[in-house]
Amino acid sequence: MTFNSFSYFFFLPVVFLLFQAVADRYRWLVLLMASYAFYGFLLQPSLPVILAFVTTFSFLAGKRIYCAPAGNKKKQLLLFSVLVNLAILVYCKYLVFLVENMNLLLGAFSEGFAIPEPEPMVSIALSFFIFQAISYLADIYFGITGAEGHPGHFALHMSFFPKLLQGPIERAGALLPQIREPYRFNYDDVRHGLLLFFWGLFLKSVVADRIAFFVDPVYNNVRAYTGIPLIIATYAYAFQLYFDFAGYTNMALGSARLFGIKLTQNFNSPYLANSFADFWRRWHISFSRWILDYIFQPLQMKWRNFGNNGTALALVVTFLLSGFWHGADWTFVIWGLLHGTFLAVATYYKPYKKKLHRKLGIDKSRWITIFQVAVTFHLVCFTYIFFRASTIGDAWHIVTNLFNIYSNYTTFKTIGLSEFIAANILIGNRKMVFIILICMLSIIGIVYRYRHTTLLDKPGWFRWVCYYGLFFLIVIFQITTKPNFIYFQF
Amino acid sequence: MKNLSIQERMSEVFRDVLDNDAIILTRETTADDIEEWDSLSHITIIVAIEKEFNVKFNLSDIKPLRNIGEFEDLIVLKTGIKG
Repeated sequence: MTFNSFSYFFFLPVVFLLFQAVADRYRWLVLLMASYAFYGFLLQPSLPVILAFVTTFSFLAGKRIYCAPAGNKKKQLLLFSVLVNLAILVYCKYLVFLVENMNLLLGAFSEGFAIPEPEPMVSIALSFFIFQAISYLADIYFGITGAEGHPGHFALHMSFFPKLLQGPIERAGALLPQIREPYRFNYDDVRHGLLLFFWGLFLKSVVADRIAFFVDPVYNNVRAYTGIPLIIATYAYAFQLYFDFAGYTNMALGSARLFGIKLTQNFNSPYLANSFADFWRRWHISFSRWILDYIFQPLQMKWRNFGNNGTALALVVTFLLSGFWHGADWTFVIWGLLHGTFLAVATYYKPYKKKLHRKLGIDKSRWITIFQVAVTFHLVCFTYIFFRASTIGDAWHIVTNLFNIYSNYTTFKTIGLSEFIAANILIGNRKMVFIILICMLSIIGIVYRYRHTTLLDKPGWFRWVCYYGLFFLIVIFQITTKPNFIYFQF
Repeated sequence: MKNLSIQERMSEVFRDVLDNDAIILTRETTADDIEEWDSLSHITIIVAIEKEFNVKFNLSDIKPLRNIGEFEDLIVLKTGIKG
Protein backbone atom coordinates (compact mmCIF):
# COMPACT_ATOMS: atom_id res chain seq x y z
CA MET A 1 0.00 0.00 0.00
CA THR A 2 1.38 3.40 -0.89
CA PHE A 3 0.39 6.80 0.49
CA ASN A 4 -1.08 7.87 -2.83
CA SER A 5 -3.12 4.69 -3.32
CA PHE A 6 -6.86 4.53 -2.96
CA SER A 7 -6.65 1.90 -0.23
CA TYR A 8 -4.54 4.19 1.97
CA PHE A 9 -7.35 6.75 1.98
CA PHE A 10 -9.48 4.11 3.72
CA PHE A 11 -6.71 2.62 5.78
CA LEU A 12 -5.50 5.84 7.41
CA PRO A 13 -8.89 7.07 8.72
CA VAL A 14 -9.80 3.58 9.99
CA VAL A 15 -6.51 3.30 11.90
CA PHE A 16 -6.98 6.84 13.21
CA LEU A 17 -10.49 6.08 14.52
CA LEU A 18 -9.39 2.80 16.08
CA PHE A 19 -6.44 4.59 17.67
CA GLN A 20 -8.80 7.17 19.17
CA ALA A 21 -11.32 4.56 20.32
CA VAL A 22 -9.08 2.23 22.34
CA ALA A 23 -7.63 2.81 25.79
CA ASP A 24 -4.23 4.49 25.86
CA ARG A 25 -2.36 1.37 26.98
CA TYR A 26 -3.43 -0.47 23.79
CA ARG A 27 -2.73 2.32 21.33
CA TRP A 28 0.75 1.03 20.46
CA LEU A 29 -0.87 -2.31 19.63
CA VAL A 30 -3.30 -0.68 17.17
CA LEU A 31 -0.41 1.07 15.42
CA LEU A 32 1.75 -2.06 15.43
CA MET A 33 -0.98 -4.22 13.91
CA ALA A 34 -1.77 -1.48 11.41
CA SER A 35 1.91 -1.25 10.46
CA TYR A 36 2.22 -4.98 9.79
CA ALA A 37 -1.07 -4.94 7.86
CA PHE A 38 0.25 -1.97 5.85
CA TYR A 39 3.43 -3.91 5.04
CA GLY A 40 1.42 -7.05 4.36
CA PHE A 41 -0.59 -5.22 1.70
CA LEU A 42 2.51 -5.32 -0.53
CA LEU A 43 1.67 -9.04 -0.87
CA GLN A 44 5.24 -10.12 -0.26
CA PRO A 45 4.84 -12.55 2.64
CA SER A 46 8.58 -12.79 3.26
CA LEU A 47 8.91 -9.06 4.04
CA PRO A 48 6.87 -8.86 7.28
CA VAL A 49 8.60 -12.06 8.41
CA ILE A 50 12.03 -10.49 7.86
CA LEU A 51 10.87 -7.34 9.66
CA ALA A 52 9.66 -9.43 12.60
CA PHE A 53 12.96 -11.33 12.70
CA VAL A 54 15.13 -8.19 12.51
CA THR A 55 12.98 -6.63 15.25
CA THR A 56 13.16 -9.62 17.61
CA PHE A 57 16.86 -10.15 16.99
CA SER A 58 17.77 -6.47 17.47
CA PHE A 59 15.60 -6.20 20.58
CA LEU A 60 17.39 -9.13 22.24
CA ALA A 61 20.83 -8.10 20.95
CA GLY A 62 20.25 -4.56 22.23
CA LYS A 63 19.59 -5.91 25.74
CA ARG A 64 22.73 -8.04 25.63
CA ILE A 65 24.90 -5.15 24.45
CA TYR A 66 23.43 -2.87 27.10
CA CYS A 67 24.12 -5.34 29.92
CA ALA A 68 27.60 -6.38 28.77
CA PRO A 69 30.50 -4.75 30.63
CA ALA A 70 32.49 -2.21 28.61
CA GLY A 71 35.32 -3.85 26.68
CA ASN A 72 35.88 -6.56 24.12
CA LYS A 73 32.75 -8.56 24.93
CA LYS A 74 30.52 -5.54 24.32
CA LYS A 75 32.31 -4.75 21.08
CA GLN A 76 32.02 -8.33 19.82
CA LEU A 77 28.29 -8.36 20.58
CA LEU A 78 27.84 -5.14 18.62
CA LEU A 79 29.87 -6.40 15.65
CA PHE A 80 28.00 -9.71 15.60
CA SER A 81 24.55 -8.12 15.73
CA VAL A 82 25.41 -5.52 13.08
CA LEU A 83 26.84 -8.24 10.83
CA VAL A 84 23.67 -10.34 11.14
CA ASN A 85 21.60 -7.32 10.08
CA LEU A 86 23.94 -6.55 7.19
CA ALA A 87 23.93 -10.20 6.10
CA ILE A 88 20.14 -10.08 5.77
CA LEU A 89 20.38 -6.88 3.74
CA VAL A 90 23.09 -8.26 1.46
CA TYR A 91 21.24 -11.55 0.97
CA CYS A 92 17.94 -9.91 0.04
CA LYS A 93 19.18 -6.92 -1.90
CA TYR A 94 22.63 -7.57 -3.29
CA LEU A 95 22.88 -11.32 -3.92
CA VAL A 96 21.86 -11.11 -7.58
CA PHE A 97 24.29 -8.24 -8.19
CA LEU A 98 27.13 -10.05 -6.42
CA VAL A 99 26.55 -13.30 -8.32
CA GLU A 100 26.26 -11.46 -11.65
CA ASN A 101 29.56 -9.67 -11.10
CA MET A 102 31.25 -12.79 -9.73
CA ASN A 103 30.22 -14.60 -12.90
CA LEU A 104 31.61 -11.80 -15.04
CA LEU A 105 34.87 -12.05 -13.18
CA LEU A 106 34.96 -15.86 -13.29
CA GLY A 107 34.03 -15.80 -16.97
CA ALA A 108 37.19 -13.86 -17.65
CA PHE A 109 39.28 -16.71 -16.25
CA SER A 110 37.42 -19.86 -17.17
CA GLU A 111 34.81 -20.01 -19.84
CA GLY A 112 31.58 -21.84 -19.21
CA PHE A 113 31.83 -21.82 -15.43
CA ALA A 114 29.14 -19.79 -13.71
CA ILE A 115 27.33 -19.70 -10.39
CA PRO A 116 23.58 -20.14 -10.95
CA GLU A 117 21.87 -16.76 -10.57
CA PRO A 118 19.33 -16.51 -7.76
CA GLU A 119 15.84 -15.07 -8.27
CA PRO A 120 15.77 -11.33 -7.52
CA MET A 121 13.97 -10.61 -4.24
CA VAL A 122 11.66 -7.76 -3.42
CA SER A 123 13.34 -5.73 -0.71
CA ILE A 124 11.03 -2.72 -0.24
CA ALA A 125 11.67 -0.98 3.11
CA LEU A 126 14.38 -3.46 4.07
CA SER A 127 17.33 -1.08 3.83
CA PHE A 128 15.40 1.53 5.82
CA PHE A 129 14.49 -0.64 8.81
CA ILE A 130 17.82 -2.46 8.85
CA PHE A 131 19.61 0.90 9.03
CA GLN A 132 17.32 1.84 11.88
CA ALA A 133 18.14 -1.41 13.69
CA ILE A 134 21.88 -0.85 13.27
CA SER A 135 21.67 2.70 14.60
CA TYR A 136 19.71 1.41 17.62
CA LEU A 137 22.41 -1.17 18.40
CA ALA A 138 25.27 1.29 17.88
CA ASP A 139 23.57 3.95 20.02
CA ILE A 140 23.25 1.44 22.88
CA TYR A 141 26.91 0.49 22.50
CA PHE A 142 28.02 4.13 22.63
CA GLY A 143 25.78 4.88 25.59
CA ILE A 144 23.67 7.37 23.63
CA THR A 145 20.50 5.47 24.41
CA GLY A 146 19.42 2.64 26.72
CA ALA A 147 17.98 -0.71 25.63
CA GLU A 148 14.21 -0.57 25.18
CA GLY A 149 12.43 -2.77 27.71
CA HIS A 150 9.02 -2.98 26.04
CA PRO A 151 9.07 -5.37 23.05
CA GLY A 152 5.85 -3.88 21.67
CA HIS A 153 7.16 -0.32 21.75
CA PHE A 154 10.36 -1.44 20.10
CA ALA A 155 8.47 -3.35 17.40
CA LEU A 156 6.45 -0.22 16.69
CA HIS A 157 9.64 1.86 16.58
CA MET A 158 10.89 -0.46 13.86
CA SER A 159 7.68 -0.80 11.86
CA PHE A 160 5.62 2.41 12.35
CA PHE A 161 3.87 2.54 8.97
CA PRO A 162 4.30 6.24 8.08
CA LYS A 163 8.08 5.82 8.00
CA LEU A 164 8.36 2.13 7.15
CA LEU A 165 8.69 2.13 3.36
CA GLN A 166 10.96 5.10 2.67
CA GLY A 167 11.97 6.56 6.04
CA PRO A 168 12.78 8.99 7.57
CA ILE A 169 15.29 6.69 9.28
CA GLU A 170 14.49 7.40 12.91
CA ARG A 171 16.88 7.29 15.86
CA ALA A 172 15.81 5.46 19.00
CA GLY A 173 16.36 8.62 21.03
CA ALA A 174 13.92 10.55 18.85
CA LEU A 175 11.07 8.10 18.21
CA LEU A 176 10.93 5.70 21.19
CA PRO A 177 10.22 8.38 23.82
CA GLN A 178 7.28 9.59 21.70
CA ILE A 179 5.90 6.05 21.49
CA ARG A 180 6.20 5.61 25.26
CA GLU A 181 4.51 8.88 26.11
CA PRO A 182 0.77 8.74 26.83
CA TYR A 183 -1.20 10.10 23.87
CA ARG A 184 -3.28 13.23 24.28
CA PHE A 185 -5.57 14.34 21.48
CA ASN A 186 -4.35 17.62 20.03
CA TYR A 187 -6.53 19.26 17.41
CA ASP A 188 -3.62 21.28 16.00
CA ASP A 189 -1.58 18.11 15.46
CA VAL A 190 -4.41 16.63 13.41
CA ARG A 191 -4.90 19.80 11.35
CA HIS A 192 -1.18 20.14 10.78
CA GLY A 193 -0.89 16.45 9.90
CA LEU A 194 -3.65 16.66 7.31
CA LEU A 195 -2.19 19.80 5.77
CA LEU A 196 1.27 18.18 5.49
CA PHE A 197 -0.27 15.03 4.04
CA PHE A 198 -2.23 16.80 1.31
CA TRP A 199 0.64 19.15 0.54
CA GLY A 200 2.84 16.07 0.07
CA LEU A 201 0.21 14.39 -2.09
CA PHE A 202 0.06 17.52 -4.23
CA LEU A 203 3.87 17.61 -4.66
CA LYS A 204 3.88 13.94 -5.64
CA SER A 205 0.77 13.47 -7.75
CA VAL A 206 0.54 16.86 -9.40
CA VAL A 207 4.11 18.18 -9.59
CA ALA A 208 6.57 15.26 -9.59
CA ASP A 209 4.49 12.91 -11.74
CA ARG A 210 3.85 15.70 -14.25
CA ILE A 211 7.56 16.48 -14.58
CA ALA A 212 8.13 12.76 -15.20
CA PHE A 213 6.42 13.10 -18.60
CA PHE A 214 9.44 15.05 -19.75
CA VAL A 215 12.06 12.91 -18.07
CA ASP A 216 11.04 9.32 -18.71
CA PRO A 217 10.78 9.38 -22.53
CA VAL A 218 14.34 10.72 -22.77
CA TYR A 219 15.92 8.58 -20.05
CA ASN A 220 14.17 5.43 -21.22
CA ASN A 221 15.60 5.88 -24.69
CA VAL A 222 18.68 8.08 -24.27
CA ARG A 223 20.45 7.05 -27.45
CA ALA A 224 17.76 8.75 -29.53
CA TYR A 225 18.84 12.13 -28.13
CA THR A 226 21.79 14.44 -27.95
CA GLY A 227 22.34 17.91 -26.48
CA ILE A 228 19.47 20.06 -25.25
CA PRO A 229 16.86 17.32 -24.65
CA LEU A 230 19.38 15.48 -22.46
CA ILE A 231 20.15 18.66 -20.52
CA ILE A 232 16.48 19.54 -20.02
CA ALA A 233 15.56 16.00 -19.00
CA THR A 234 18.38 15.93 -16.45
CA TYR A 235 17.37 19.23 -14.83
CA ALA A 236 13.74 18.14 -14.93
CA TYR A 237 14.72 14.94 -13.17
CA ALA A 238 16.39 16.92 -10.37
CA PHE A 239 13.02 18.51 -9.65
CA GLN A 240 11.02 15.32 -10.20
CA LEU A 241 13.19 13.46 -7.69
CA TYR A 242 12.98 16.25 -5.14
CA PHE A 243 9.20 16.71 -5.38
CA ASP A 244 8.66 12.96 -5.41
CA PHE A 245 10.70 12.33 -2.29
CA ALA A 246 9.79 15.55 -0.46
CA GLY A 247 6.14 14.82 -1.32
CA TYR A 248 6.47 11.34 0.15
CA THR A 249 8.23 12.69 3.26
CA ASN A 250 5.52 15.28 3.87
CA MET A 251 2.89 12.54 3.59
CA ALA A 252 4.87 10.41 6.05
CA LEU A 253 5.29 13.30 8.49
CA GLY A 254 1.62 14.23 8.10
CA SER A 255 0.39 10.66 8.69
CA ALA A 256 2.56 10.30 11.81
CA ARG A 257 1.39 13.64 13.14
CA LEU A 258 -2.20 12.35 13.22
CA PHE A 259 -1.04 9.99 15.96
CA GLY A 260 0.83 12.73 17.81
CA ILE A 261 4.26 11.60 16.56
CA LYS A 262 6.76 14.01 15.03
CA LEU A 263 9.13 12.35 12.57
CA THR A 264 12.45 13.81 11.47
CA GLN A 265 12.33 16.44 8.73
CA ASN A 266 14.20 15.04 5.73
CA PHE A 267 14.62 18.14 3.54
CA ASN A 268 15.59 21.76 3.91
CA SER A 269 15.61 23.45 0.48
CA PRO A 270 18.44 21.20 -0.80
CA TYR A 271 18.91 23.00 -4.12
CA LEU A 272 19.81 26.19 -2.27
CA ALA A 273 22.91 24.50 -0.83
CA ASN A 274 26.14 26.43 -1.40
CA SER A 275 28.45 23.38 -1.26
CA PHE A 276 28.22 19.60 -1.37
CA ALA A 277 28.64 19.48 2.40
CA ASP A 278 25.72 21.90 2.67
CA PHE A 279 23.73 19.80 0.19
CA TRP A 280 24.03 16.75 2.43
CA ARG A 281 22.92 18.87 5.38
CA ARG A 282 19.70 19.59 3.46
CA TRP A 283 19.01 16.49 1.32
CA HIS A 284 17.62 13.22 2.76
CA ILE A 285 18.81 14.44 6.15
CA SER A 286 17.96 11.32 8.19
CA PHE A 287 19.97 9.19 5.73
CA SER A 288 22.96 11.54 5.45
CA ARG A 289 23.21 11.79 9.24
CA TRP A 290 23.14 8.01 9.41
CA ILE A 291 25.97 7.42 6.95
CA LEU A 292 28.02 10.26 8.44
CA ASP A 293 27.53 9.13 12.05
CA TYR A 294 27.95 5.39 11.58
CA ILE A 295 30.31 5.08 8.61
CA PHE A 296 32.16 8.35 8.03
CA GLN A 297 32.94 9.32 11.64
CA PRO A 298 34.40 5.97 12.73
CA LEU A 299 36.51 5.87 9.54
CA GLN A 300 37.67 9.48 9.93
CA MET A 301 38.55 8.80 13.56
CA LYS A 302 40.51 5.68 12.57
CA TRP A 303 42.44 7.50 9.84
CA ARG A 304 42.89 10.78 11.68
CA ASN A 305 46.67 10.48 11.73
CA PHE A 306 46.63 10.90 7.95
CA GLY A 307 45.11 14.38 8.23
CA ASN A 308 43.20 15.61 5.20
CA ASN A 309 44.04 12.46 3.24
CA GLY A 310 42.34 10.35 5.90
CA THR A 311 39.25 12.56 5.86
CA ALA A 312 39.11 12.56 2.06
CA LEU A 313 39.40 8.78 1.89
CA ALA A 314 36.74 8.34 4.59
CA LEU A 315 34.40 10.56 2.54
CA VAL A 316 34.97 8.63 -0.66
CA VAL A 317 34.41 5.26 1.04
CA THR A 318 31.30 6.52 2.86
CA PHE A 319 29.63 7.90 -0.23
CA LEU A 320 30.61 4.90 -2.30
CA LEU A 321 28.69 2.78 0.20
CA SER A 322 25.86 5.31 0.11
CA GLY A 323 25.68 4.72 -3.65
CA PHE A 324 25.44 0.98 -3.01
CA TRP A 325 22.68 1.53 -0.49
CA HIS A 326 20.59 3.19 -3.19
CA GLY A 327 20.78 0.15 -5.39
CA ALA A 328 22.81 -2.82 -6.48
CA ASP A 329 23.93 -1.19 -9.69
CA TRP A 330 27.16 0.40 -10.90
CA THR A 331 25.27 3.59 -11.86
CA PHE A 332 24.52 4.24 -8.18
CA VAL A 333 28.08 3.39 -7.20
CA ILE A 334 29.39 6.04 -9.61
CA TRP A 335 26.82 8.54 -8.35
CA GLY A 336 28.07 7.92 -4.78
CA LEU A 337 31.70 8.06 -5.89
CA LEU A 338 31.11 11.46 -7.54
CA HIS A 339 29.56 12.87 -4.35
CA GLY A 340 32.39 11.43 -2.26
CA THR A 341 34.98 12.89 -4.62
CA PHE A 342 33.43 16.38 -4.62
CA LEU A 343 33.31 16.33 -0.81
CA ALA A 344 36.86 14.98 -0.58
CA VAL A 345 38.24 17.66 -2.90
CA ALA A 346 36.55 20.31 -0.74
CA THR A 347 38.45 19.15 2.36
CA TYR A 348 41.70 20.27 0.67
CA TYR A 349 40.64 23.64 -0.66
CA LYS A 350 38.18 24.64 2.06
CA PRO A 351 40.80 26.22 4.39
CA TYR A 352 42.04 28.43 1.55
CA LYS A 353 38.62 29.30 0.14
CA LYS A 354 37.54 31.79 2.79
CA LYS A 355 41.02 33.29 3.02
CA LEU A 356 41.00 33.85 -0.73
CA HIS A 357 37.52 35.38 -0.60
CA ARG A 358 38.64 37.70 2.19
CA LYS A 359 41.72 38.76 0.26
CA LEU A 360 39.61 39.54 -2.77
CA GLY A 361 37.13 41.37 -0.53
CA ILE A 362 34.21 39.22 -1.71
CA ASP A 363 33.65 37.13 1.43
CA LYS A 364 30.49 39.04 2.40
CA SER A 365 29.22 39.46 -1.14
CA ARG A 366 25.81 38.04 -1.98
CA TRP A 367 27.10 37.23 -5.46
CA ILE A 368 29.65 34.75 -4.20
CA THR A 369 26.87 32.83 -2.40
CA ILE A 370 24.67 32.91 -5.49
CA PHE A 371 27.61 31.68 -7.55
CA GLN A 372 28.31 28.85 -5.10
CA VAL A 373 24.64 27.82 -5.02
CA ALA A 374 24.53 27.76 -8.82
CA VAL A 375 27.74 25.71 -9.14
CA THR A 376 26.59 23.22 -6.48
CA PHE A 377 23.18 22.81 -8.12
CA HIS A 378 24.63 22.15 -11.57
CA LEU A 379 27.13 19.63 -10.21
CA VAL A 380 24.39 17.87 -8.23
CA CYS A 381 22.33 17.68 -11.44
CA PHE A 382 25.35 16.24 -13.24
CA THR A 383 25.55 13.43 -10.68
CA TYR A 384 21.85 12.68 -11.27
CA ILE A 385 22.73 11.51 -14.78
CA PHE A 386 24.20 8.41 -13.13
CA PHE A 387 21.43 8.22 -10.56
CA ARG A 388 18.68 8.13 -13.19
CA ALA A 389 20.28 6.38 -16.18
CA SER A 390 19.32 2.72 -16.54
CA THR A 391 22.84 1.54 -17.38
CA ILE A 392 26.40 2.82 -17.29
CA GLY A 393 26.31 2.84 -21.10
CA ASP A 394 23.27 5.14 -21.09
CA ALA A 395 24.91 7.46 -18.58
CA TRP A 396 28.07 7.59 -20.65
CA HIS A 397 26.06 8.42 -23.78
CA ILE A 398 24.47 11.34 -21.92
CA VAL A 399 27.74 12.64 -20.49
CA THR A 400 29.50 12.54 -23.84
CA ASN A 401 26.58 14.00 -25.79
CA LEU A 402 25.40 16.70 -23.37
CA PHE A 403 26.92 19.50 -25.39
CA ASN A 404 26.47 17.97 -28.79
CA ILE A 405 25.16 20.93 -30.75
CA TYR A 406 23.45 18.87 -33.44
CA SER A 407 20.62 18.30 -31.06
CA ASN A 408 17.17 17.21 -32.06
CA TYR A 409 15.32 19.67 -29.90
CA THR A 410 12.29 19.63 -32.19
CA THR A 411 11.70 15.96 -31.41
CA PHE A 412 11.94 16.74 -27.73
CA LYS A 413 9.28 19.43 -27.95
CA THR A 414 6.64 16.81 -28.62
CA ILE A 415 7.80 14.56 -25.83
CA GLY A 416 5.29 14.04 -23.11
CA LEU A 417 2.83 16.23 -24.96
CA SER A 418 0.26 13.54 -25.63
CA GLU A 419 0.51 12.29 -22.03
CA PHE A 420 0.37 15.86 -20.78
CA ILE A 421 -2.80 16.60 -22.76
CA ALA A 422 -4.37 13.30 -21.72
CA ALA A 423 -3.58 14.08 -18.09
CA ASN A 424 -5.20 17.49 -18.33
CA ILE A 425 -8.28 16.30 -20.19
CA LEU A 426 -10.60 17.34 -17.38
CA ILE A 427 -9.67 20.97 -17.84
CA GLY A 428 -11.09 21.46 -21.30
CA ASN A 429 -10.24 24.58 -23.28
CA ARG A 430 -7.10 26.68 -23.18
CA LYS A 431 -8.60 29.72 -21.44
CA MET A 432 -9.59 27.52 -18.55
CA VAL A 433 -6.08 26.11 -18.38
CA PHE A 434 -4.75 29.65 -18.00
CA ILE A 435 -7.21 30.61 -15.24
CA ILE A 436 -6.65 27.37 -13.38
CA LEU A 437 -2.90 27.79 -13.72
CA ILE A 438 -3.05 31.19 -12.01
CA CYS A 439 -5.25 29.83 -9.20
CA MET A 440 -2.91 26.87 -8.90
CA LEU A 441 0.19 29.00 -8.59
CA SER A 442 -1.38 31.28 -5.98
CA ILE A 443 -2.61 28.36 -3.88
CA ILE A 444 0.80 26.68 -4.16
CA GLY A 445 2.47 29.92 -3.14
CA ILE A 446 0.23 30.45 -0.12
CA VAL A 447 0.33 26.86 1.12
CA TYR A 448 4.09 26.67 0.61
CA ARG A 449 4.60 29.95 2.45
CA TYR A 450 2.48 28.89 5.41
CA ARG A 451 2.71 25.13 5.30
CA HIS A 452 4.43 24.64 8.61
CA THR A 453 2.25 26.35 11.15
CA THR A 454 1.12 29.84 10.34
CA LEU A 455 -1.57 28.87 7.83
CA LEU A 456 -3.34 27.18 10.70
CA ASP A 457 -3.54 30.49 12.57
CA LYS A 458 -5.19 32.38 9.69
CA PRO A 459 -8.90 33.24 9.71
CA GLY A 460 -11.27 30.40 8.82
CA TRP A 461 -12.33 31.70 5.39
CA PHE A 462 -8.68 32.04 4.29
CA ARG A 463 -7.73 28.58 5.49
CA TRP A 464 -10.71 26.89 3.90
CA VAL A 465 -10.10 28.58 0.55
CA CYS A 466 -6.58 27.16 0.67
CA TYR A 467 -7.74 23.69 1.78
CA TYR A 468 -10.39 23.48 -0.94
CA GLY A 469 -7.97 24.95 -3.47
CA LEU A 470 -5.34 22.36 -2.68
CA PHE A 471 -7.88 19.55 -2.66
CA PHE A 472 -9.36 20.47 -6.05
CA LEU A 473 -5.93 20.99 -7.56
CA ILE A 474 -5.05 17.46 -6.52
CA VAL A 475 -8.32 16.05 -7.86
CA ILE A 476 -8.12 17.90 -11.18
CA PHE A 477 -4.41 17.81 -11.88
CA GLN A 478 -3.27 14.52 -10.36
CA ILE A 479 -1.50 12.07 -12.61
CA THR A 480 -2.91 8.63 -12.04
CA THR A 481 -0.63 6.66 -14.31
CA LYS A 482 2.54 6.81 -12.20
CA PRO A 483 1.64 5.76 -8.69
CA ASN A 484 5.03 4.59 -7.37
CA PHE A 485 7.51 6.70 -5.45
CA ILE A 486 11.11 6.79 -6.72
CA TYR A 487 12.69 5.95 -3.36
CA PHE A 488 10.61 2.77 -3.15
CA GLN A 489 13.29 0.82 -4.95
CA PHE A 490 15.92 1.71 -2.36
CA MET B 1 47.44 30.80 26.05
CA LYS B 2 48.30 29.98 29.65
CA ASN B 3 45.64 32.17 31.19
CA LEU B 4 42.83 30.97 28.99
CA SER B 5 40.28 28.61 30.49
CA ILE B 6 39.52 25.24 28.89
CA GLN B 7 36.31 26.64 27.49
CA GLU B 8 38.08 29.62 25.93
CA ARG B 9 40.67 27.37 24.36
CA MET B 10 37.88 25.16 23.01
CA SER B 11 36.15 28.23 21.58
CA GLU B 12 39.38 29.17 19.79
CA VAL B 13 39.58 25.70 18.23
CA PHE B 14 35.93 25.82 17.14
CA ARG B 15 36.39 29.27 15.58
CA ASP B 16 39.47 28.10 13.77
CA VAL B 17 38.07 24.80 12.44
CA LEU B 18 34.63 26.11 11.53
CA ASP B 19 36.04 29.43 10.30
CA ASN B 20 33.49 31.46 12.23
CA ASP B 21 34.80 34.16 14.55
CA ALA B 22 31.41 34.67 16.16
CA ILE B 23 31.44 31.35 18.03
CA ILE B 24 31.33 31.65 21.82
CA LEU B 25 30.90 28.35 23.64
CA THR B 26 29.09 27.87 26.93
CA ARG B 27 28.57 24.67 28.88
CA GLU B 28 25.07 24.42 27.40
CA THR B 29 26.11 24.85 23.75
CA THR B 30 25.14 21.91 21.52
CA ALA B 31 25.67 21.11 17.84
CA ASP B 32 22.18 22.49 17.17
CA ASP B 33 23.37 25.97 18.19
CA ILE B 34 26.22 26.20 15.67
CA GLU B 35 25.26 25.83 12.04
CA GLU B 36 28.62 24.58 10.77
CA TRP B 37 28.99 22.00 13.55
CA ASP B 38 27.46 18.94 11.91
CA SER B 39 28.17 15.24 11.40
CA LEU B 40 30.62 16.13 8.64
CA SER B 41 32.76 18.52 10.71
CA HIS B 42 32.39 16.80 14.10
CA ILE B 43 35.48 14.57 14.03
CA THR B 44 37.61 17.36 12.50
CA ILE B 45 36.77 19.42 15.59
CA ILE B 46 37.49 16.48 17.92
CA VAL B 47 40.90 15.93 16.30
CA ALA B 48 41.74 19.64 16.60
CA ILE B 49 40.77 19.52 20.29
CA GLU B 50 43.00 16.45 20.71
CA LYS B 51 45.92 18.44 19.31
CA GLU B 52 45.15 21.53 21.40
CA PHE B 53 45.06 19.59 24.68
CA ASN B 54 47.55 16.88 23.68
CA VAL B 55 45.11 14.06 24.44
CA LYS B 56 43.57 11.07 22.60
CA PHE B 57 39.88 10.20 22.58
CA ASN B 58 38.07 7.01 21.58
CA LEU B 59 34.86 7.02 19.60
CA SER B 60 33.20 5.63 22.74
CA ASP B 61 34.42 8.68 24.71
CA ILE B 62 32.96 11.24 22.37
CA LYS B 63 29.78 9.63 21.04
CA PRO B 64 27.76 10.04 24.26
CA LEU B 65 28.67 13.74 24.67
CA ARG B 66 25.57 15.92 24.64
CA ASN B 67 26.96 19.42 25.04
CA ILE B 68 30.13 21.45 25.49
CA GLY B 69 29.94 21.06 29.26
CA GLU B 70 30.26 17.27 29.01
CA PHE B 71 33.05 17.67 26.46
CA GLU B 72 34.88 20.00 28.85
CA ASP B 73 34.48 17.50 31.70
CA LEU B 74 35.94 14.79 29.46
CA ILE B 75 38.99 16.96 28.73
CA VAL B 76 39.45 17.61 32.45
CA LEU B 77 39.15 13.88 33.15
CA LYS B 78 41.62 12.90 30.43
CA THR B 79 44.24 15.61 30.95
CA GLY B 80 43.95 16.52 34.60
CA ILE B 81 43.89 20.22 33.65
CA LYS B 82 41.67 22.20 35.94
CA GLY B 83 38.79 23.99 34.19
